[in-house]
Amino acid sequence: MRSVLRLLEGDQTIGRGLPFWGLMSLLFAGALAFGVTAGSFAVENCSYFLVWVFMALGLAFMWGLGGTMSFGQTAFFGIGGYCYAILSTNWGVESGLTMAAALLSLAAVALSAAVLGYFVFFGGINGVLVSITTLAVTLGLETFLSQTAGPKWAIGRAELGGFNGISSMPPLTVPWHGDNVEITGRSLYFGLIIFVAITYLALRILANSKVGDAMVAVRESPLRAEALGYDVKAILFVGFVVGSVLAGLSGLLYAGWGQYISPDTMGLSAAALPIIWVAVSGKDLTATMVGTVVLLGLSQALAIYGSQYALVSLALILVVSIMGCPKGVFETLLRRIDSIGGPGDQNSKPVRKSSLDRSEVLL
Amino acid sequence: MTQVELIALAYQFGLAVAFLILSAAGLAVIFGMMGIVNMAHGELIMIGAYGTSIANRHGLPLVLAALCGVLASTATGVLLERTVIRRFYDRPSESLVMTWAIGLFISQAALIVFGPSLPSISSPLGSVAFGGFSLSIYGLLLIAFGLAVPVAIYLLLSTTTFGLHARATMQNVEVARAIGINSGSVYSATFALGAGLAGLAGALYAPTMSAVPNMGGSFIVQAFVTVVTGGGNLVYGTLPAAAGLGLVQTALTAVFGNLVGVLGLLAAVIVSAKLFPNGLAHRLSGKRFS
Amino acid sequence: MKYLRATAVCSALLVGFPLLAAAESPIKIGLLEDQTGILAQGGLPKVHGAELAVAEINAAGGVLGRPLELVVYDAQSDNQRYQEFARRLTQSDKVDVLMGGLTSASRVAVQPIAERTKTLYFYNNEYEGGTCDSNMAITGVVPEQYLALIPWMLKNVGKKVYIIAADYNFGQILGLWVRKLVKENGGTLVGEEYIPLSVSQFGQTISNIQAAKPDFVFTAMVGSNQVAYFQQASAAGLKIPMASPINGTLLYEHKQLPRPVMANMYLGVNYMEELKTDENKGFVERWRAKYPNEPYINQPGEDSYVGVKLYAEAVRAAGSAERTAVIKAIETKDICTESPEGKICFDKSTHHVSHRIHIVKVEADHSVTTVQDLGIVQPSWLGTMGCDLTKKAESKQFTPEEPKH
Repeated sequence: MRSVLRLLEGDQTIGRGLPFWGLMSLLFAGALAFGVTAGSFAVENCSYFLVWVFMALGLAFMWGLGGTMSFGQTAFFGIGGYCYAILSTNWGVESGLTMAAALLSLAAVALSAAVLGYFVFFGGINGVLVSITTLAVTLGLETFLSQTAGPKWAIGRAELGGFNGISSMPPLTVPWHGDNVEITGRSLYFGLIIFVAITYLALRILANSKVGDAMVAVRESPLRAEALGYDVKAILFVGFVVGSVLAGLSGLLYAGWGQYISPDTMGLSAAALPIIWVAVSGKDLTATMVGTVVLLGLSQALAIYGSQYALVSLALILVVSIMGCPKGVFETLLRRIDSIGGPGDQNSKPVRKSSLDRSEVLL
Repeated sequence: MTQVELIALAYQFGLAVAFLILSAAGLAVIFGMMGIVNMAHGELIMIGAYGTSIANRHGLPLVLAALCGVLASTATGVLLERTVIRRFYDRPSESLVMTWAIGLFISQAALIVFGPSLPSISSPLGSVAFGGFSLSIYGLLLIAFGLAVPVAIYLLLSTTTFGLHARATMQNVEVARAIGINSGSVYSATFALGAGLAGLAGALYAPTMSAVPNMGGSFIVQAFVTVVTGGGNLVYGTLPAAAGLGLVQTALTAVFGNLVGVLGLLAAVIVSAKLFPNGLAHRLSGKRFS
Repeated sequence: MKYLRATAVCSALLVGFPLLAAAESPIKIGLLEDQTGILAQGGLPKVHGAELAVAEINAAGGVLGRPLELVVYDAQSDNQRYQEFARRLTQSDKVDVLMGGLTSASRVAVQPIAERTKTLYFYNNEYEGGTCDSNMAITGVVPEQYLALIPWMLKNVGKKVYIIAADYNFGQILGLWVRKLVKENGGTLVGEEYIPLSVSQFGQTISNIQAAKPDFVFTAMVGSNQVAYFQQASAAGLKIPMASPINGTLLYEHKQLPRPVMANMYLGVNYMEELKTDENKGFVERWRAKYPNEPYINQPGEDSYVGVKLYAEAVRAAGSAERTAVIKAIETKDICTESPEGKICFDKSTHHVSHRIHIVKVEADHSVTTVQDLGIVQPSWLGTMGCDLTKKAESKQFTPEEPKH
């Protein structure tokens, strides 16, 4: 147990020591306090932001550590959402069946991610072709689902609904004294906060374990990693599946949050968004977790108060922030904090070179 | 299949390939040279089309108006390269996000400045009829441009001093610098060329589409898949990739309809990534440009 | 948006409705439309239409002595934004009614939120029909109304039909309708194609049509990509007459595209800016006075205007803006409004609306002439499918059956 907990800090994650963990605890406590004190709408709105964090964390994991820039996150988001919608529509809310639907959806996402990941990584596809292959899969899925209108495209009682998507499936529920309690509103919010925290800590441990080290070795030089005895394909495969399953988790939570899922969550513009969040925040796990929520909040606020200038302003803010902090706004910020307060472990200079190797792209 | 149907099909194939090549050319030049995936490519195409449309409406004949469109996108390209892009060479992932944001800015600014759409321009040259079919003559012009653009770029790269410097920079930027090539200006010129080619695509397709702020979106997926499938070389990569993908799409669309055509194109991309994991150019040119 | 809210209230105050009314709290209408992003061209006039209706109603003293207040958010052509803002409108702004949405997908995104928060939802748009929902009022035209065009075409233009439609719900369902109508009216279908929304090159489709030689082409092309079909077909010398319920009314292709690309297009419409009825003349003048730079008053713009007017009538009849009272009024009383189309009314059992349908033709110079006024057409199909909300409150989606081969 101790050795596992020690992996919460390490070379592959930013943040160590009392000041950092103090800050994170404060953040966690603040989030809980917000859930207690804020109005019900504000809480639900924040739940919506938190739903997306899993997908972003998944991408930060596979991209930041392993160098796999996948455009497939929204495809797995969609698979997760659609599976949940189909299963829960068919099964209903009785005796915790929505939870079974959620778990089975995650299994379906894992399976499809494994199939695609096997094809990509064991098929020898690498570099930017991974991005384009995953993009092709995403757009193919969107195009296919968009034309599934009408009763002939139904699985059990759930019609796929084409471009309109599926709606009005039940939210997540838990059986409680013979009743089924819906996880919506505040309970959903607290559930999400705890789930985000667990996912975040688990990913930190994974990143600082042998798996994370291997992923970084592969990212820095696949050739060298192979020479050192790493199974490059297997390592990239694992990173991809972990990241994709998290995207699926976001998808099914989204479907449960709004009782709605549609193909345009997978389109080209949707597929670019997780990449934007991660790149602008910084590919570190902490930076992505915080940054995704901030960016979602910012773009919503702009949509509310910015009238027709909302998207232009958002674009400008992104341009300026990448110019100012090419490594990501929150990653830069975190390094500041870390260098002020940390106990200054000399050996722990993180070995991250954040971009793909140029030669890799040119290949 | 009758001769007439065969001609009609060949024409469709030519149009599909030309569309892929012209959409992809600007992206391919920038990607091949600098490894930057220019996500604002579609918006540069839109600027080309808007420039053409606006100039045409102010009375310029179509040829001159198209030139204005190309100039507008080239100028935008130069401006972007000078102010932003040049800080992001050697940083492909940051440049990807940066150019995405620039693209969003350009399309939304166009919406604010020009409104939700511009009146379209009419397709020149009319049509030619044969055996129950009739074809747009302008389509033949598009096919001609589709073939001429890669040839012109090939000549530019293989016969001029700029081409020599560009190829040297592409192969090994450090060595190129060491022998006195100003890689910075090569990059600038390449980006301007790529932006100009994007504008050319917009100008050429302006008479066949409606000019709206997001019109770049109709080009961008085809452009990406063609460039990445082909690898960063117009002649050895983009051209054969466009021919292959165009053939798959045309055949599938003709037999099974548009949905299968679209899905088939995407499937062909995946298959090609599997067969040629380093891009077609790598295979066909024997690593010449990559 | 605060600014919008403020202007709505201010303009209401400026026109000076009775002091009594000013003292009452306003009835809040939450409006969600696409003002930016890819659907902005269709969505912007919808905001204007609603603003115009609210201004006119407030100038006449409001509803039940209360002014109307619009709370507007820009959904940015993004279904997720529809969900975010539907929640904001219902839970934070606490509006009395939700309105808006251009695509059916946006309607489906808003529906469950309106349902859960017990907020009435007005969808003011032409659509493919089939929504039977107690919590909704659907004020736009539906296939059995606008597709009165098809029998007319079969009688007056020719019997051989080729369908091209966008490959998603709207296009596919319209395809089913047209197939059925062609069969019932003695026509023959010589080809049909459903085209993904991302396709912008139509060479193959055009030569397929040339090979099939139909008497007219039914088009349900959607979005700016697919509008390119008309230019490409015209450039290829295709001069076959066309029929459509949408290509002209939403993105006003006949104003956008060069002449004579849209020549010989027949449209079945409840509204076009060019309609030369007396009711429309005054409407266009008032709209143009308020929004002199509007490129075109499209059909969704009028739908949005009419939607607000119908809501105001329903509240008046109910004597309250409370949801169940308004629904009950729609289901039990005759709720009608004067509109640019003429007098149109709610259908009690399906919450849909009767519309006056015109068949119009786009000429070579892209002017629009009325070829026939079909008068008021009822929204009858849902009733035949067994939807009767006065008997049973429900939320169901009906789709026409595939015809047997």
